[in-house]
Amino acid sequence: MSMSDQLDPAAQKKRLKALETQAHQSQRTIAELNSRDALKTQFLSNISHDLRTPLAAIITHAEILREGMLGELNTKQRDSVSGIVNGGQQLLDMIDEILTYVRGQSDQVTLARVEFSITELVDQVRMLNQPLAAKKKLTIERLNGDDLPPVYADRDKLKHVLGNLIGNAIKFTGDGGRIWISLAARGKNADELIVEVGDTGRGIARNHYELVFREFAQVDASPSRPHHGTGLGLAIARKFVELHGGKIWVESELGKGSRFFFTLPLNVARD
Amino acid sequence: MTTRILIVEDSALVADAYVVLFQQAGYEVEVATTVAGAIESASGGNVDVMLLDLSLPDGDGLEVLEGLRTRGKSPRTTLAMTGHDDSKTRHRCLDAGCTDVLIKPLPIAQLLRQIERHQA
Repeated sequence: MSMSDQLDPAAQKKRLKALETQAHQSQRTIAELNSRDALKTQFLSNISHDLRTPLAAIITHAEILREGMLGELNTKQRDSVSGIVNGGQQLLDMIDEILTYVRGQSDQVTLARVEFSITELVDQVRMLNQPLAAKKKLTIERLNGDDLPPVYADRDKLKHVLGNLIGNAIKFTGDGGRIWISLAARGKNADELIVEVGDTGRGIARNHYELVFREFAQVDASPSRPHHGTGLGLAIARKFVELHGGKIWVESELGKGSRFFFTLPLNVARD
Repeated sequence: MTTRILIVEDSALVADAYVVLFQQAGYEVEVATTVAGAIESASGGNVDVMLLDLSLPDGDGLEVLEGLRTRGKSPRTTLAMTGHDDSKTRHRCLDAGCTDVLIKPLPIAQLLRQIERHQA
């Protein structure tokens, strides 16, 4: 016999009333938390946008100086002004990442699918990252993928995903290391594309595999950590891949490098 | 004749930086901060290049193009400047008649190259 059966009707009614009140309270709390969360997202969007404008002015002024348009600078002066440009650029990249994340948070994020060659996109992102990789004497190579069919997907979003994975690989791989990208169709009817971005970098411990995809999370969150960032890059990448109906994950071993994978369905109906 | 550039930008900080840049590069420069101001400035028909910010206090930057078209005073070259690097924005600008779409802030060397290229 359950407990409620032992209570008299009046006590049962009282208990029901209490539960209803509790349920209402919980609903109110959830609604309030949701609205506060939305407010925070809006704030993040506004502040990021407003930070961008003066920063753009700072970078442009510094570039004008660096290029000697207002008079030749000596080497020390030029190095110093270059520091302003580079620091500003880094800050701008972080703000842009926050903006991308915030836009992804709002429900109206949709996919603008077009047909394109994923192989060409990989090469484009690879070339964009070449200068950064060259600074650390890293090689970035595409191992395969010349014979893949075109994908029907959101090109901008996949460019962002690839840019993030390759950017991370560069960031976390020591001088002289290797980065590679592998592309293949798999499954019974070759109906899924699997993309791998691998590196010979510092690697990720198994208990951090999930953490790295969580927003604002960083494996090393200490103020003295060597690698700074918003902690949003992989959260955005996951969001974009999942919007396409794909999956993203990492396989890694500390000290031996990481291999990030994502999949994309290839049998998408054309509009 | 010196090329005339109209900068349509609501942030005085950003506009000031562009004024310094283009004056040093030898262009004649004017600034407008609103849709209405831009239409007024360009209505004389002597603007060669218009750099157009998309979010202006009194409306969408692309309204400037529309306003000038009805007056028959479209600048030879209009370069839209936007912070949104996505194909939707790009298409919207090109459909409205922009010559090209630039993602700001663009490195100044690239910006100057773009203007030269479209003047050639």
